[in-house]
Amino acid sequence: MRKMIGLCVLSIWSLAVAAQGGGTKTLTFQTMEGFQKQAGNWQVVGEVEMNPNVDVHHQEPVETKKKKKKNQPEPPKAVTTEPGTGILVNLPTNDKKSNLLTTWEHGDIELDVEVMLPKGSNSGLYLQGRYEVQLYDSWGVKNPAFSDIGGIYRNWESAPEKSYMGKAPLTNAAKAPGLWQHLVISFRAPKFDAQGNKIANARIVKASLNGVTIHENLEIPLPTGGPVQNNEVAMGPILIQGDHGAVAFRNFKYKLMHDLDAELTDVNYEVFHGDYESYELAEKATNADISGKQDLLNYDIAERDNGFVIKYTGTLKLAETTDYTFRGSFGGQAWLKVDGEEVGRGWRGLSGTKKLSAGDHKVEIMYFKTRSWVDPYFGLFLSSSNGHEKALHAMSSHPVNVSSVAPIFIKPQGNQPRLLRAFLDFEGDRSRRITHSIGVGIPSGINYVYDLASGNLACVWKGDFVNATPMWHDRGDGSFRPLGMIQYLYEGSSVTGSVKSKGYTLDTKTGLPTFIYEVDGKEVQDKVYPDADDTKVIREVSLGEVTGSFEVAEAASIYQMDNGMYVIGDKDYYIEILSGQTPQIVKDGSKSKLMLPIDANPVKYSIIW
Amino acid sequence: MKNLNYLAFACLSLISFLGYAQPVEEDYYPIVTIPAPEGVLLEVGGLTTLPDGRIGLSTRRGDVWVIENPYMINGEVPRFTLFASGLHESLGLAYYQNAFYSAQRGELTKLVDRSGDGRADVYETIFSWPLSGHYHEYSFGPKMDNEGNMYVTANVAFGDEEWWRGESRVKWRGWTMKISPDGEMTPWATGMRSPCGIGMIDGELFYDDNQGDWIGSGAIWHVKQGSFTGHPAGLRWADEANSPIEVNQETFYNTFDERRIRKDGRAVKPANIQDEENPLTMVKAKETFPEITLPAVWLPHAILGVSNSEILKDETGGDFGPFAGQVFVGDQGQSKIMRVVLEEVNGEFQGVAFDFRENFQSGVLRMTFGKDGSLFVGETNRGWGSAGPENSGFERVVWSGKVPMEMKTIKAMPDGFEIEFTKPVDMASAMNPDSYQGQSFTYKYHSVYGSPTIENEPLEIRGVKVSDDGLKVRLVVDNLRQYFIHEINTPGIKSAEGDLPVLHPRGYYTLNNIPEGAKLNDSELSKRPKKTAQAKSIKAPKPQPMRAQNEVLSYEQVMPLLQKNTCTACHKVNDKVVGPPFAEIAKRRYSNKRIVELIYSPEPQNWPNYATPMAPMPQVPKEEAEKIAAWINSLRSGD
Repeated sequence: MRKMIGLCVLSIWSLAVAAQGGGTKTLTFQTMEGFQKQAGNWQVVGEVEMNPNVDVHHQEPVETKKKKKKNQPEPPKAVTTEPGTGILVNLPTNDKKSNLLTTWEHGDIELDVEVMLPKGSNSGLYLQGRYEVQLYDSWGVKNPAFSDIGGIYRNWESAPEKSYMGKAPLTNAAKAPGLWQHLVISFRAPKFDAQGNKIANARIVKASLNGVTIHENLEIPLPTGGPVQNNEVAMGPILIQGDHGAVAFRNFKYKLMHDLDAELTDVNYEVFHGDYESYELAEKATNADISGKQDLLNYDIAERDNGFVIKYTGTLKLAETTDYTFRGSFGGQAWLKVDGEEVGRGWRGLSGTKKLSAGDHKVEIMYFKTRSWVDPYFGLFLSSSNGHEKALHAMSSHPVNVSSVAPIFIKPQGNQPRLLRAFLDFEGDRSRRITHSIGVGIPSGINYVYDLASGNLACVWKGDFVNATPMWHDRGDGSFRPLGMIQYLYEGSSVTGSVKSKGYTLDTKTGLPTFIYEVDGKEVQDKVYPDADDTKVIREVSLGEVTGSFEVAEAASIYQMDNGMYVIGDKDYYIEILSGQTPQIVKDGSKSKLMLPIDANPVKYSIIW
Repeated sequence: MKNLNYLAFACLSLISFLGYAQPVEEDYYPIVTIPAPEGVLLEVGGLTTLPDGRIGLSTRRGDVWVIENPYMINGEVPRFTLFASGLHESLGLAYYQNAFYSAQRGELTKLVDRSGDGRADVYETIFSWPLSGHYHEYSFGPKMDNEGNMYVTANVAFGDEEWWRGESRVKWRGWTMKISPDGEMTPWATGMRSPCGIGMIDGELFYDDNQGDWIGSGAIWHVKQGSFTGHPAGLRWADEANSPIEVNQETFYNTFDERRIRKDGRAVKPANIQDEENPLTMVKAKETFPEITLPAVWLPHAILGVSNSEILKDETGGDFGPFAGQVFVGDQGQSKIMRVVLEEVNGEFQGVAFDFRENFQSGVLRMTFGKDGSLFVGETNRGWGSAGPENSGFERVVWSGKVPMEMKTIKAMPDGFEIEFTKPVDMASAMNPDSYQGQSFTYKYHSVYGSPTIENEPLEIRGVKVSDDGLKVRLVVDNLRQYFIHEINTPGIKSAEGDLPVLHPRGYYTLNNIPEGAKLNDSELSKRPKKTAQAKSIKAPKPQPMRAQNEVLSYEQVMPLLQKNTCTACHKVNDKVVGPPFAEIAKRRYSNKRIVELIYSPEPQNWPNYATPMAPMPQVPKEEAEKIAAWINSLRSGD
């Protein structure tokens, strides 16, 4: 019944939604369709820009035209927009500051959105209108609380049984104001029995912000502050807070999910002992050693660890006509047939998708094992485009196997930075491994990796330093993984010429490194350190006798904002030039490069992300 | 006299039968664990002694520690100071002219403390080399020559699909580099596969490698400029302008089949060819490519280590016992130290290797002598497994002052060998040629991982001559074979005083050259006692009833077979060492026949959680393999 409601609602505003494969839908923000009526503070625009230096709540009032003197520039605004479509923006005023509610409701949902906040702003995304994931300009916050971006907000109930104190994000993964931030949430609605009693709390299966996990398998036992209604329900709309400050969204993708109504019954099995080395031989096995019926698939009826074939048959009962995906996971080899047609086969795993109608379907499985060094296990999982994956096997047939290796996290000790050399896979891509790189973790939570071979800064991030488990557990692979919200910069050298690393020196007081390298034999000194507020990274390069130009940034798009800062990429990060050289944006194929002419002065700029 | 001898022999047997304690290594060379502060993980990659007696120690975790009073004088524990950190898996450490030098994965680094606070503030890149980023691209060193030039060695990577095949993806993997103090690099030699152990002996560079593709067994090479020590991966760069090597890689592979086999679209790992006719050896390959440098001393795989490491000359002048001037070689997998004595014959180094000391807590990687003549041992097994149960360790071997009964050295002679003992031998036992045994053998040179011993042949000992002082024995052998490894075993020898057996009765001499010179006359030799006389004096043992074909040996009965065939080097009954425990093998329910097959042609892919693949062991006699197989299966409790 619930599903029916969802479907009706969907059809009403289908215009505003682009359906995608696998049940994912995207709000494309062509119009305000899909949202309930509001005061007008929410609107669809084509472009939005937020000045990271202007606090949205403390900007200078825009002077009226009468008072304005000629040639006097307007004071900078926190948010400017351009007409068009594709972006949803909230610009609240004293009279217009509605919250925004979807016309549709959701239970379980997979949400994937991009959000932008101006400096000092505050909003929130309420799942089911009741559980607020906080949206806040938390840039630079060292110890995030429930009230920082990504936090589950608290409520203000005084009765102890109704009070919920919220939950801080695991890491502050906030980007600087005016940059697009990527929020992904997998949410399960609370569950109720037939009498309406809650039998399972609302739960965040996983949430990440800018690629960093902020909650993992977290129950939310009570509504948070300011819900649409102070109760818990199976279905509710999304509410976006509009009365606390400006906010923008784009690429609003979601997938409505429900428990899969499917069951595998009448499982009959035949077990054949012996080493059947191939599918063909296993298929020909006759005269079963053991046979019988099971409630749930379980390999244990083989009665041995190796040297067997199991042939199962069963009936798959489905409530819905849709695409179904089967995923097998087993020690050995297996194939799966549905209605006589093979869905998949493989060694240690299989997968396949098939459109199936509501009703009964014949399932046949053959699982066989001749390799003694693999443990025996057998699991078969089923999911549909909007149905959660469900195990069709007994739990004991496919034990959950999680690595129990204690992770090795590296932190700076005391007030000294921690330096550590390791391979770095640029943007996580093994084929772009940087082999002569060094990580620098500064106690204030600013971290970066410097590529010694090319004399360049590879990436910067805030939060914890690195996970060295990949390098130090067992043989390792020589690499570490940055922890926290990372911004990759660009690969290659900042200058033209042959770069030769000469290593680095450490400042005896601060412990910070100065990297030294030669460009065609001429010495360069390169310092990378946090600014006074520990929010930005400053790079200062003394180029000595090196001539030519210095590359500061590289991206598909680079432009300069009115405040003088450069916006790199798709509002990924900012560069602020601090030295006197006049920058140039140079087109190089599909890329733009921000270049500085080299003069007698050091090159100095800050990276803001 | 004969009867007296017999009586003495009988007494000795009785003593051992009654279980009187035999001398053990611990009596002569006790091991002391050095207490490190809690939380300090010493996965040792480099170890060096400073001029002031402190010890420098670098770790896989990238730290460099300086340890004050490691000798624990004044009843105090050593003090650890963190000198430097953040290095990329440092696998070597040297100290030269007030600075440390260490090979990281990608460069040779000089660490200087300019401010004088005991912590490095300069991390200077002396020379940087490229890497592909493969995990196996470890770099080792440096070792210094007298001019401050540094030698660094570079592991090969392995193939992506052909994960068993060593590859030199970038310059200079598989090479030894010579780097001057101001950073000039000279490619020095190639042929290295996993050159973890390097050492300077009297100004000459030596390195060891362990069993792998093209490396039949672990061995020690004397590395000269332009040496090609056997693994062909590094030949890829032989045509570079500054390469001292002439061997062209393509020519090499056209001459010796790499055995790149594909089946069903997938690469197939080459396996040892059993009963191969006229197999290639390094000696034969050298006929085509004279630049091939033969090992100076083979360290037979699984007997004298499985993954050889540091090479260190004893320069303590006797403070470390009777082996001054000799060479110690570590081993990671077997967590032990071997002893090597080199000699120059016809202008080339060759020599003998013995076991020295086992039972370190983890894999022995690095060694350095302290100022007091004790031996500091740095350990890690970093994911490869080791006989020592810990993953890391820092220990110290101190000579107890007692001289063990050992073969001090074995030298090649024109007609055999001369054994020198540390203590005078009991004349009667030493004069009996039956107190000695031996065999000679060699290894294949092929792209397969490791080699079985091949062309095994028992030594024909013609006679012996014992020196008047009882310290030296000339062994005349009729079937010396040039280039072969000669195992010399002294089971019947005991010391004149105390009746001590030889603590490590086997030596392995690599006979690359047979020296010229005078041979002994038959008349000078003591020969075997007349068999008839002995047969009478020793009561013939009662013939044992024929053992039923399917009767399974007991643990005590099988143990000598396991030891003789070197099974115990890697396998224990219940504990994981280098290879799986016998009890785990039993659980696989292989038939006895299948286990015998697997002894001869192992399938390491059956044991994905074990890092070191087993070498084929076709030299195990079938009858013994069958007994071992039956015993393994007997370990499985009721089905």
